[in-house]
Amino acid sequence: MRIRIVAAVAAIITALLLQATLVAPLALPIPASLPAVLVAAVALVDGPGSGMAFGFVCGLGADLGSYHPAGLLALTWLGVGVLAGALADRRGVRADALTAALVCAAASAVATLLLTLVHSGGATAWLALRQLVPAGVLDGLLALAVVPAVRAFLRTDTLRAVQPQLAELRPGPSGG
Amino acid sequence: MRRLTRRQRIAALVLAGVAACLITLDLGGSGLRPAHSGVRGALGALYRGSDAVLGPVRRFAQGLPSAGSATATIARLRHENAVLRGELAASTADRATQRQLAALQRSADRRGERIVPARVIALGPGQGFDWTVTLDVGTSSGIRVDQSVTDGDGLVGRVLYADPSSAVVLLCADPGSGVGVRDVRTGQVGIATGNGSAGFTFVPLDPAAAVQVGDRLVTGPAGATSFVAGLSVGTVSSVATAADRTTTRADVTPTAPATGLDLVGVILAGGQPATRAPLSPARSQPVAQAGH
Repeated sequence: MRIRIVAAVAAIITALLLQATLVAPLALPIPASLPAVLVAAVALVDGPGSGMAFGFVCGLGADLGSYHPAGLLALTWLGVGVLAGALADRRGVRADALTAALVCAAASAVATLLLTLVHSGGATAWLALRQLVPAGVLDGLLALAVVPAVRAFLRTDTLRAVQPQLAELRPGPSGG
Repeated sequence: MRRLTRRQRIAALVLAGVAACLITLDLGGSGLRPAHSGVRGALGALYRGSDAVLGPVRRFAQGLPSAGSATATIARLRHENAVLRGELAASTADRATQRQLAALQRSADRRGERIVPARVIALGPGQGFDWTVTLDVGTSSGIRVDQSVTDGDGLVGRVLYADPSSAVVLLCADPGSGVGVRDVRTGQVGIATGNGSAGFTFVPLDPAAAVQVGDRLVTGPAGATSFVAGLSVGTVSSVATAADRTTTRADVTPTAPATGLDLVGVILAGGQPATRAPLSPARSQPVAQAGH
C-alpha cells in the first residue's frame, strides 16, 4: 500500500512538471491537460476508488500552484476519477484512450465553466464549448501514450491494487 | 457502466464537499495564501530544474532559440550586451535571443529604467486556462510583486508572485484582467480587457470618443494603473459603436503576443538591489519617450 502512495505522489509531481514546462506551452491556447489524462488512466485500471483519491490530490496540487481558487481542479478531476473509474471495463488500449480523451475534454469544459461561475480569469461558456473538440483531440493523443504506461505500472506485482476492481483478473478459485 | 459502492459514494461526496469548501475559502479570503505560495515556490524551484532538461526540447518544438542553464544564460547575455554596444562581432550569438535582448536594451534606453531579462520556464500546472507564466528570476534579482513585464516592445503582464529564484507573471491577455490605457492619437483613456490570444477589447471611458482603426494604445495614466505608464499595449484593429452611440468597443491587436513568449524583461520600478546584472540605460540616452 505504501509503495502505491509513493508511486502516486511521484507520478503526480512528474505530471504537473511536464504539464507546466512542456505540454501547456506547446498546446497553448488549447487546454490540454496531462495530469487529467493521468487521472483518467489510473481510474480506468484501478476503478473509481483509487481514481477519485488520485484525482483529488492531483487537482489540489495543480490548484495550489495556480492562480485560480484552490479546489476547482480538485473537484473537476475528482469527477474525472469517478467517471473514468465507473466506465472502466476490460477494453483495449485505444478504447481506453478514447474514453480518457472524452472524459478529460468534458472535464476541461467543466473547469472552464466553473471558472466562469467564480469569476476568476473571466473564462466564458463560449470558450469552454469552442475548445471542447481540440482539447479532446490533444487529450486523446496524450492518452495514447499515458494509458499503456499506467497499465504496465499498475499491473506489476508491487503496484497492483490490493482489491482489484476487475474481479476477472483476480487470481484464485473464485475467479470467473 | 459500473456502479460505485456505498463507501465510494460517501468518499466522493466528502471529497467534493471539501473541494467546495476550499473554493469558498480561497474566494472569500486569504486563508489559503500560505499554501498557495508554498506550493508555487516548490513548483517554481522544480520548474527551474526540469526546464534545464526539457527547455531545449520545448524551444526546439516552438522554433525558439535554445538556452542552457542560468549560468550559461547570464554569460551569453553579458556577451550579447557587449555585442549590442558594438564591441564584438555577432559571430556566435543566438540571433533571435539577440533580437529580443536588443529590444529590451532599446526599451531600457528609451525609458531610462532598469530591466531584468528573464526566460519563461513554465506555464500553469493544471490546464491551459490560467494565463500565467513562470520566469527564471526572482526576488534575489530585484523582482517584486506588481512590477510590469515587457517583451521590449509592448506590455506582457505584471508580477503576481515572486520567490527568491522564480516569479509568476499574470499575462495582461488574461480574460479577467483589465489594463488602464490611453489612445495615443486622441489622448482618450479607457480600459483594455484581456481577450485571451485574440488580444484585447478596448472600451473608452467616454462613449463618444473617436476611436479609429490603427490607433495605438499605451499604458497609463500613471498612478491610475498598476502598470508602468507609456508601455505599448496594442493597435486598434476594428471598432464597433452601438446604434444609439452609447458604447464604443474596439478590438485591439496586442503589441506583445501572449503565446510564444520566451525572453521577456521585468521593469524594476523601484530599482531594488540585484544579483543578476540588469540592463542599465546607456550613458548617452536619447530623450525620446515611449509613444513616439
